Amino acid sequence: MSKGILVDIPKCIGCESCSVACKLWNELGWDPQEKNKTAEDRAKEPNKGLWPDEWTSINRYDVKKNGSPVGRYVKTQCLHCVDPACASACFSKALKKLPEGPVVYDQKLCVGCRYCMMACPFDILRYEWKKAIPGVSKCQMCPSRVTNNQETACTSVCPTGAITFGDRDQLLAEAKKRIKDNGYVDRVFGEKEAGGTSWLYISDVPFEQLRFRTDVTTKSLPSYTEGYMKLTPFVGGTWAAVLAGLYIYNNKNKEPLE
Amino acid sequence: MASKAGQVKKLSRRSFLKFVGGASLTGVTLSLAGCGEVATADSAAGGKGWMPAQYNAPGSWPTDVRGRVPIDPLNPSIVRDDQKCILCGQCLEVCEKVQSVFGNYELPIKNEFVCVNCGQCTQWCPSGAITERDETDKVFKALADPKVTVVVQTAPATRIGLGEEFGMPVGTNVQGKQVAALRKLGFDVIFDTNFTADLTIMEEGTELVKRVQGELKKPLPQLTSCCPGWVKFVEYFYPELIPNLSSAKSPMQMEGTLMKTYYAEMKKVDPQKIFSVAIMPCTAKKFECQRPEMVSAQKELKDKNVTPDVDVVLTTRELARMIKRAGIDFANLPDGQYDQLMGTGTGAGAIFGTTGGVMEAAARSAYYLVTGQQPPSALWDLTPVRGMQGVKDATINIPGIGNMKVAVISGLANARTVMDQIKAGNAPWDFIEVMACPGGCEYGGGQPRASAPPSDDVRNRRAASLYQIDANAKLRNSYDNPQIKEVYADFLTAPMSEKAEELLHTTYISRASEFTAKKSENM
Repeated sequence: MSKGILVDIPKCIGCESCSVACKLWNELGWDPQEKNKTAEDRAKEPNKGLWPDEWTSINRYDVKKNGSPVGRYVKTQCLHCVDPACASACFSKALKKLPEGPVVYDQKLCVGCRYCMMACPFDILRYEWKKAIPGVSKCQMCPSRVTNNQETACTSVCPTGAITFGDRDQLLAEAKKRIKDNGYVDRVFGEKEAGGTSWLYISDVPFEQLRFRTDVTTKSLPSYTEGYMKLTPFVGGTWAAVLAGLYIYNNKNKEPLE
Repeated sequence: MASKAGQVKKLSRRSFLKFVGGASLTGVTLSLAGCGEVATADSAAGGKGWMPAQYNAPGSWPTDVRGRVPIDPLNPSIVRDDQKCILCGQCLEVCEKVQSVFGNYELPIKNEFVCVNCGQCTQWCPSGAITERDETDKVFKALADPKVTVVVQTAPATRIGLGEEFGMPVGTNVQGKQVAALRKLGFDVIFDTNFTADLTIMEEGTELVKRVQGELKKPLPQLTSCCPGWVKFVEYFYPELIPNLSSAKSPMQMEGTLMKTYYAEMKKVDPQKIFSVAIMPCTAKKFECQRPEMVSAQKELKDKNVTPDVDVVLTTRELARMIKRAGIDFANLPDGQYDQLMGTGTGAGAIFGTTGGVMEAAARSAYYLVTGQQPPSALWDLTPVRGMQGVKDATINIPGIGNMKVAVISGLANARTVMDQIKAGNAPWDFIEVMACPGGCEYGGGQPRASAPPSDDVRNRRAASLYQIDANAKLRNSYDNPQIKEVYADFLTAPMSEKAEELLHTTYISRASEFTAKKSENM
């Protein structure tokens, strides 16, 4: 059963327990420059506050709702697409979608080409430019916890229930119920975006104002190229055979060089 | 290239490249064919760290404590350091269970992130991740400026707390050393907030008598207003009880106002050049001094260049940090003396620092204000309002008024129950003292942290020290304070006179529209 996480944006009070839990569980470092940035500062960053050591960021957006100003906190991290473009772009299989939901990254397999960063429609992945042996970093959705029937570190500490862990199908139904009950914007972000994501967001203010990428396709991204990219091994093999044949043909009457 | 067995191969550039190319092709082919290592849940990045035990339960198991309190980056009182946080949830526990703030507002949040700035979370935080907003640099800067007269006041409760920061036993009275240390740090004038505590009693006591006698058309019970955390709590959750709050300012704000008016006038100091600092056991005071109402001196003098009545509030912990930074040997300081004009307080002022103290002080003065005589011995040692119970009540007999029923509350969750009673109309009291922090200011959010979690043992020892100051005082009744008589004679005319109303009283605003309060279970 594929797991997911539902983010109820208006329920978030900005305590940032989740990002501390993420740091504790994943043993991420503290960049002295990033440490003192507030949720408001991070919301203004071009990278939405995600750095190699910040797998998740709580960003505060001051927006207008019914004419009056409101502050909304948005948890930002990898959305864990159902059919992830990053894993599809990775030729060394360092990125992989697990059946439980998480899209995981294994640095031992990574060659550092950064195709995944190009492929990601939400601009989530970060490269460890400052390290001698760099890797790509992003939220892993706590695979060792999720596969052991535990919830993710972030959801386990949320004091208000703004982030809930569960089966994606059930969460989707719950999200639609909450939209109806609370009069939210009639859209579950992540239901169809990029072919669906494991993380689902619901909000009472339009997603555009919260720096969500709302113009993203609803088709799964790998499906665009799958039709012809799956021919790659065949084309490669054919080429090898053709070239080998040409070589043999050209050299059949020649003496060895030595 | 042909080689025979036994002959050493000569490695040419060509053969090397051939080998590398072949190996790469084999690797890519194997990898694409799925023969390589596969990323798994365990080989994924991260996930090797630590989480507090209560969060390591399987999903959807209920856990006792989750997360931590939200702290707005703009919060004037408290800040947090994420690097130190271990997500133990103690802050949430105290905020929700003891202060009844967290969890008492509806989600989705409307506009404001509710915080009464009491700072109890800083006392419970075991890793020091939540602390007061440090403003010592502002004070050091003012001290270094020779053109500025830095005037400081010290709250009743800081003198029995500060010593703990320097290894002294809990509750040690270091009044004299505190004054000496402030002088060494370079403060120009040092006043005692005990003086304005007495002044508060005169104003608040007069207001109470007027309410009880029907001269002032304001509802009973009268609620004390010296605790800024409590005042903000009322403004959030019980806006309909705002008329019950005494209009008298807190002692700190009175002292700040008088520094820039009374002191400036008497000592011929330019009020624009006065920088007013308050040493408080409290983080909510940092919020209080920034309230837009707290600019009485500016209004009175009609001078836009006069800064707010209190410029900076430092907690006891920040003062200790300043003393340590300046390298002062605190333990061996000789006792110093407060500057006069506003530097003498009575025993009644001193016990403002503990729960029940305001009530006891007010009872003594109310008796005098009504009868014109010294109160009987029972009022000098009003035991029913002493101690650490959350809600205490007593009956005080004052000839001319009869029996006056009073209550003393500390801890906002206790206050919530009593306020619900008042709203329901079944509260018998005439006067209620409320302190946001359990035990009162002596265990306020800005007091030194004990090595163990907050306990009544520490609270009792600190309170005992304050009652000792009261018992040893020559003057134990606010109206006996000669400087109080002076300030009324020379400056304010009489309690609740027009000038006193203007300088020493304030207004409150409802904050109910900033958020949605949860319906109380008792109602």
